[in-house]
Amino acid sequence: MTGSSRLTRFALPVLATALIIAPLAWLWQASRVPSAYSIMDMGYLDYGLGATTDPNAGGHAGHMQGDMHDDQSASRRLVSDMIVDPARPADVRVDLVTRQQMLTVGDRSIAGFSVNGTSPGPEIRARQGQLIEVHLHNESVADGVTLHWHGVDVPNAMDGVAGVTQDAVPIGGEFTYRFVAKQAGSFWYHSHQVSNPQVAGGLLGSLVVTPRSGIAQHVDVTAMAHSYEGIRTINGKAEDLRVPAQAGQRVRVRVTNTDNGPMKVWTSGPYRLLAVDGTDVHRPTEVSGQSVTLTAGARLDLEVRVPDDGSEVRVQLSKSTAVVVGPRGADVPAPAQPDADLDLLSYGSPTALSFDPTHATRRFDYHIGRRPGFVKGLPGMWWSINGHLFPNVPMYVVRQGDVVVMRIENHSGEVHPMHLHGHHVVVLARDDVAATGSPWWVDSLNVLPGETYDIAFVANNPGIWMDHCHNLKHAAQGMVAHLMYEGFDTPYRIAGSADNQPE
Amino acid sequence: MRTAYKVLAYLVAAEVAVQAMVIVWAIAGLGKWVDSGGVFDKAVIEGDDSAMPFPEVLGILVHGMNGMFAIPGLALLLLIVSFFTKMRGAIKWAVVVFVLVVAQGQIGFLGHDFPLAGLLHGLNAFAIFAVALYAARRVRPVISVGEKQPDAHTATPVS
Repeated sequence: MTGSSRLTRFALPVLATALIIAPLAWLWQASRVPSAYSIMDMGYLDYGLGATTDPNAGGHAGHMQGDMHDDQSASRRLVSDMIVDPARPADVRVDLVTRQQMLTVGDRSIAGFSVNGTSPGPEIRARQGQLIEVHLHNESVADGVTLHWHGVDVPNAMDGVAGVTQDAVPIGGEFTYRFVAKQAGSFWYHSHQVSNPQVAGGLLGSLVVTPRSGIAQHVDVTAMAHSYEGIRTINGKAEDLRVPAQAGQRVRVRVTNTDNGPMKVWTSGPYRLLAVDGTDVHRPTEVSGQSVTLTAGARLDLEVRVPDDGSEVRVQLSKSTAVVVGPRGADVPAPAQPDADLDLLSYGSPTALSFDPTHATRRFDYHIGRRPGFVKGLPGMWWSINGHLFPNVPMYVVRQGDVVVMRIENHSGEVHPMHLHGHHVVVLARDDVAATGSPWWVDSLNVLPGETYDIAFVANNPGIWMDHCHNLKHAAQGMVAHLMYEGFDTPYRIAGSADNQPE
Repeated sequence: MRTAYKVLAYLVAAEVAVQAMVIVWAIAGLGKWVDSGGVFDKAVIEGDDSAMPFPEVLGILVHGMNGMFAIPGLALLLLIVSFFTKMRGAIKWAVVVFVLVVAQGQIGFLGHDFPLAGLLHGLNAFAIFAVALYAARRVRPVISVGEKQPDAHTATPVS
């Protein structure tokens, strides 16, 4: 056999194999994350000024960059410094104890988590302007816990994201959260350490801030929808929530979706949608024959009126469960799910915004896709942000006072409830159709496949904030980016000695 | 290598059959569960991983894991093995299997947004099955002295 035929027989197949294996091995290696890292080292900086530090331009694609620490780290401000005045006394003081325990849901016993012995934990109620102080004590949650105040624009150090704004609280550990309830509305709290299983397992509760002037309704009720291992519940009970109310009374029903996917809410009679994600709708009109979408993590305040004939009103949280409002024993049948859905783009009446989004100082893209590749060393079809896979995702950089416009596009084939921490965003347009109704302020936005949203916000809460999908499974799969104010740094690390795992 | 090639190609075909079986099993289970009052929505789909609203949900999980990891893995192995298999057309048919498998995954995910793609996903499954079966059955026993097969002989370039 000649040399050239030996080459053909052995070298070529080996070479061809290497050509397939080598890029895969390289992608695999590049997708791995260190045993401890700062989110400041993730991905690439996006200043939203037209010029982007694209990772591919510098040839660093897929690597932890480490360039955000290097310059002037001495003059940087730390997220842990962003607190309320320590001298100001608390108005509302709450002790919360977290446990890992069996929960009784319906007729089943499931492994989950409790706050003060129950799931959901106790509802925290405060009046607008009060300072809330929560002492968290982790009694037995092995992975550690944190509390994130979903929808409340707290100071950064109080945001409760393990590895970004604090270390996870280990068994026996404590943490004190202090923040002023500046905004009245419906909010909730949940763990942001190993949040995918911990939230699903029930480590959550309601937070309601009532306006100084009180509310206009006769009855005020909270309904947290949650699935425990597939058992649908309202406020932890696998049955309809019955709310006694007299004929003619108006009832405010605060619904929260604590699951991973959007759900529809509809009623047996007319309703008004008073608030979305804790922000009042301007001049809400009466709605009949339309459902309304409650995305994952979102809250809606509905007003229903008990009919004069004393019959009940049912507020369906999907087909499974309902809030039943009215005199006892005046049953109405479950209403059929309407075909039409209320469009918040045109609901209510427009009113002036507190800022001018047409003069944006930063413009960002948050394009969601899905492609094959490796994330944390695992092959799969992964969510991408602006074409990149975790951890090589954008770090959106702003300065305090910036007017920020962000375009969210979903080309991933699945719905994503997008949640920006520490800020409320207003929807300017969907699919390039401008909003014409009440200003539509959200912290959790349902972005369907194929949809495009233009949103805007003012950078008025300095720190480092997560901007992620609130389908917490997707977040755990790497659908997490951050918004960072220039000059900020975090002393905390993902993984590391505190074993911080925010997703 | 011929045996490895043959076995891998048969495994791809068998896996396609498994895919069809488990997904129909899952849909049948879903139908029965809905019939008894179950509500299947996004909260159920995205629910706790340990939660099985009905046992046949396992079929959806198996379909996903098989389709995303097992079958592409087998197709990739088949392709690599084909480089070392001295048989005319071995690489060609391994490439066809691999391309169809990659396309199948992409079409499947496309179906999440455009359900019509599901029709193509179902049809393409037959193509993968047929091509993988053909690739496996093309492999003949290695030649023995006296009854050389032209197929195998031409795989070695004459120099």
